[in-house]
Amino acid sequence: MTHVLLIAGTRPQAAVLKASLEKFRAAGATVELAGLFAPDDIDPGLELTRLRSLTEAAAERGRMFEKRVAKLSAPRRVWATAERDRQVRGSGRRAHVLVALDATAVYTVWRLAQLNRRAHAVFGIAPALKAVEDRRERPLHYALRAVTRSVPTPASAARTTKRAARRVAGGALRRASSPAVLRTSVGAKSWRGAVVAPKVPDRLRAKLARRVSLSMSEGGRKAGATLVLKDAARLTADRALRADLLAEAARADLERGHDDAALRRSAYEAALTTADRWYAKGDAKKAAASLSSALTLAFPRAVHFDSLTSPLAEDPAGYLAPFRASTAFQAMTAPRGRAVPAAAPPAGRPLRLLVTTYSNANFLQAIRDRYADHPGVEIRFLEVKEDETLRPLARGAQRMMEYALGGAATLGERAEKALRPHLDWADTVFVDWCTNAAALFTLVDPGTTRIVVRLHSYEAFTLWPHLMDLDRVDDLVFVGDHLRDLVADCLPRLREPGAPALHVIANAMDLERFRQEKTGGDTRFTVGLIGAGVVAKDPRWAVEVLRRLREHDERYRLVVIGDGLDRKASAAARAYDDLLRRDLAELEPTGAVRLLGRTEDVPGALTGIGVILSSSVRESFHCGLVEGAASGALPVVRDWPFFAGKEHGARTLFPADWVVGSPGEAADRILALTATEETWRKATAEAAEHALTTWDWPVISPGFDRLLLEG
Amino acid sequence: MIYLAIGFPPAAKSCAYRMRETANQFVSQGWDVTVVTIADESWERDFGLDHTLSERVDPRVRIVKLPLVREDLETDIRKFSEDRALRPTQWAAAYRKKGMKEFPEPIYGGWKADLEKAVERIHRERPADLTVATCVPYVNMAAALHLWETHKVPYAIDFRDGWSVDVIEGGEAFSADSPSGVWERKVLSRALSLWLVNDPIAEWYRERHPDLADRVHVVRNGYDEDSVPARTRVPDADAGLTFGHLGVVTSPPRILKAVLDGWRIARERDPLVARSRLEIRGQIGSGATREANAHMELIRQAQARGEAVSFGGPAPKAELADIFASWDVLLLMIMGGKYMTSGKVYEYAATGLPVMSAHAVEHDATTVMTGHPLWTGAFGFDEEALAAAYSSAAKLAVDASDEDRAAARAHAAQYARAAQLGPAVRRLIRQAVPAPEGDGSSGTPSTAPGTHEVEDLSV
Repeated sequence: MTHVLLIAGTRPQAAVLKASLEKFRAAGATVELAGLFAPDDIDPGLELTRLRSLTEAAAERGRMFEKRVAKLSAPRRVWATAERDRQVRGSGRRAHVLVALDATAVYTVWRLAQLNRRAHAVFGIAPALKAVEDRRERPLHYALRAVTRSVPTPASAARTTKRAARRVAGGALRRASSPAVLRTSVGAKSWRGAVVAPKVPDRLRAKLARRVSLSMSEGGRKAGATLVLKDAARLTADRALRADLLAEAARADLERGHDDAALRRSAYEAALTTADRWYAKGDAKKAAASLSSALTLAFPRAVHFDSLTSPLAEDPAGYLAPFRASTAFQAMTAPRGRAVPAAAPPAGRPLRLLVTTYSNANFLQAIRDRYADHPGVEIRFLEVKEDETLRPLARGAQRMMEYALGGAATLGERAEKALRPHLDWADTVFVDWCTNAAALFTLVDPGTTRIVVRLHSYEAFTLWPHLMDLDRVDDLVFVGDHLRDLVADCLPRLREPGAPALHVIANAMDLERFRQEKTGGDTRFTVGLIGAGVVAKDPRWAVEVLRRLREHDERYRLVVIGDGLDRKASAAARAYDDLLRRDLAELEPTGAVRLLGRTEDVPGALTGIGVILSSSVRESFHCGLVEGAASGALPVVRDWPFFAGKEHGARTLFPADWVVGSPGEAADRILALTATEETWRKATAEAAEHALTTWDWPVISPGFDRLLLEG
Repeated sequence: MIYLAIGFPPAAKSCAYRMRETANQFVSQGWDVTVVTIADESWERDFGLDHTLSERVDPRVRIVKLPLVREDLETDIRKFSEDRALRPTQWAAAYRKKGMKEFPEPIYGGWKADLEKAVERIHRERPADLTVATCVPYVNMAAALHLWETHKVPYAIDFRDGWSVDVIEGGEAFSADSPSGVWERKVLSRALSLWLVNDPIAEWYRERHPDLADRVHVVRNGYDEDSVPARTRVPDADAGLTFGHLGVVTSPPRILKAVLDGWRIARERDPLVARSRLEIRGQIGSGATREANAHMELIRQAQARGEAVSFGGPAPKAELADIFASWDVLLLMIMGGKYMTSGKVYEYAATGLPVMSAHAVEHDATTVMTGHPLWTGAFGFDEEALAAAYSSAAKLAVDASDEDRAAARAHAAQYARAAQLGPAVRRLIRQAVPAPEGDGSSGTPSTAPGTHEVEDLSV
């Protein structure tokens, strides 16, 4: 008689199972079934020799066990339950044919097969039936085989013992340091003490610290979760491990919506030291991993985007000093050069212009439209994110770093192969946004093709400009002088001889379509804000202006156009949004604030708005404000704090009277210029005139012609 | 002639018939044919073996079996690494990707070097005048190209369903500038001839590569005359009819579900169908899921509900005529659309039995069946329409006269496999070895008469 043990990682297909059992029985086999299914999932009429529900077996071992196995991957979950079940272990030892019914059961059969070396171990019903047939046809062969394979392999026996020992120790630690224990102050204190105990080996200390940090985090002690990692790092001699612990501490800190700037700086400094060591040893892969860690710690979105200040904007040189001192970073940003300079625009045929971006083409439409019908230009558009070949190449910042450090040779080859047809075709490549596409296009030598990159704003606060090979960029375009200044402070190479030519050209906007009649009699009391989807727009500043206005006249109200904040972006964004929601809960029900949400018809929405605000802490240009001004709304611009007091900023971009230093000044300007219909009409007419004559597309577009067509 | 034909008999694959006929046709034209395929063990793991298929391979055909296997179809868990056992999905993804560096085809791309070495060795031993590569796998083409580039041996591609055309969904499977697109263009541009199984696919290639249009030929699959019964049985309406489906079941489960749901509805409404039974024969699933996948579950469920549905297992080629002779109506279930023909449609048409279609209306099977007097027509996969089609097919079976059956067989006669492949092979031979003026012979004389030599490099 052949004994078959079927293992299922999920509920088996009932009808297939029934038909298969008939075949096994017909072939003279007995069949047992064990697996992760509820007992009543299996038809009682199947006449199995034995049935064991591992779901039930796990429940019998208690809630803790169930919770623990629930966290395991599916294949491990089946085995974790099966190996502790006496019935399954016994059946596994006795079986002649061990069968995995699905992919998640394979690991359990693999493990049982290590212990029972006589048995067939197969995946699927058909191979199992074949094994049963084969055993029936060659009984002597299998009898002999059974004798020679009657004990588990030595390796398997050793592993089982070691794993069991580790499990016992691990189990004790898990129970003693569970979130429930660490939620109590006594538990937290005693475990923090354990982590900083003297003479603990580095690796054990790190393991303990991670375990305690996780439990503290789950137990609601978020600050403690950071501290315990930081403490462990302080006492760790191994520099790589120390860097890892500091990075984990800094990340845990950011995840709880906090930024300990000193901790983060020490974390990226430690990561850079590790990167330098790997680089000195010639290990580009590990050096890139550490550099990537350092850059990610220096440019978290919570610190620069979801915050009302940025340490980078305040002091670019100081903030980036550790990077400039790092040999690995220097090597990564060292120019790789180009064999020949960019060629002059062609004579005798249209210029071939490739316009490209990675995922955001919002600011390209006017440019694409202009050159689509231009007799002197042949234009192509390439969305890198939509291109199956280029997308994976553009996504891997760390691989780009590795390549720049002399590793990842295939990346260079693949990029060369994928980009060369585009570079061969184009005379000029215009890359919008200084992110993935800019880094990718400068990964290869562009040959005679001219590379033009436009940087808007947020990119300055990311790692991407540092990944772009500036020697392969001919022209770098900014939308405002203040952004050019900031980026040049971040990338000193831009001020050296041979740097790309720097240009400032305002965004392409068709402002004429915003000139529509205002509706309603009280329009001048309606203050508008376009865009509040990121913390940098600081809608709470606008709310403060509104409060001040309403102290004088309750007819003033605020209308917000656009999506609300993305709460999933970071804990910092959530914290800001919580405060904003508190403001809105008070003001929205009275009608003082209206959230219009996203609209495709912004010109239409602006017909009901009499005052347009720019409340942002940073902007590259703020199209929404200028569109509002063009529509005949009174522009009121906060002196964007990221750039206030510097050589260029909102005060140099806009007429001086538009710009205010505080909510109080904003309220004063609005009250003065909306006092009567006549004063408001006069002020807004002047502002609209200024907007249209300064930034409308017919005014701006010659600048693009000069840049792109004249070289 | 070196014939790169992975799937050659005894592989129980539908492509094996076409390959067998191609090799036999070349031999009959006096050529010395060496087939390159892979070890039997690989087919054992795949859709299995059918040794009856080998019986009609011309004994003069020499077969070289390379020790190449699809590890992803391995079912012996003792051969798995711990990593594979623990992370089956990741392992499978990495395995599919592994060979892609060499040739842009998942799983098979890594066979390129072995195939190239094999053809080079065969050419050294018996210098070849022509290579024919049949796809899938597409990596076969790389070996044909290699022999051209290194030894200037001309080659033809039996592309069958093509590569850059998505025969299931229609449209482009990959763009011309993708790695596959570049390979396809490179291989086709140097090929003497390119064979495809139907007009829509041929048209696709003529439009995609207009400069190669004159090399594109339609070579339909056709049927083997020994697979269709000389006589069919007389239906017994009182006892009920037997509906039969024969062939590999690869359509998505939703299609099979619609076919079975339609069957259930028809049985509720039509007493004749209620007395009848539905038998499914053919391969279902491969590797670990052989006869244990979603299709099988649907069939077993219908069986358990007492809906007179049964699964009779794979059908050996030698038994096909008998199987057809035991049925009254044929169920033609195929996925895809205008680019899809399937091999079984020709055999179905040639049996003289009524054929009930379960496929898209716009389908190449419709082209083949149009004009067949005992065909129900195609109505897609709506259960109600399928239920009506079962009834209509049952009625056709009961009402059909001997003349109708003869007319049905006459309709299909144009699709006899030899009638399809014979002219194609002769045309290719004329291109490969132009006959000297006044010489009536059609090609290179065979140098190896007599033996059916198998070189199994896997043992």
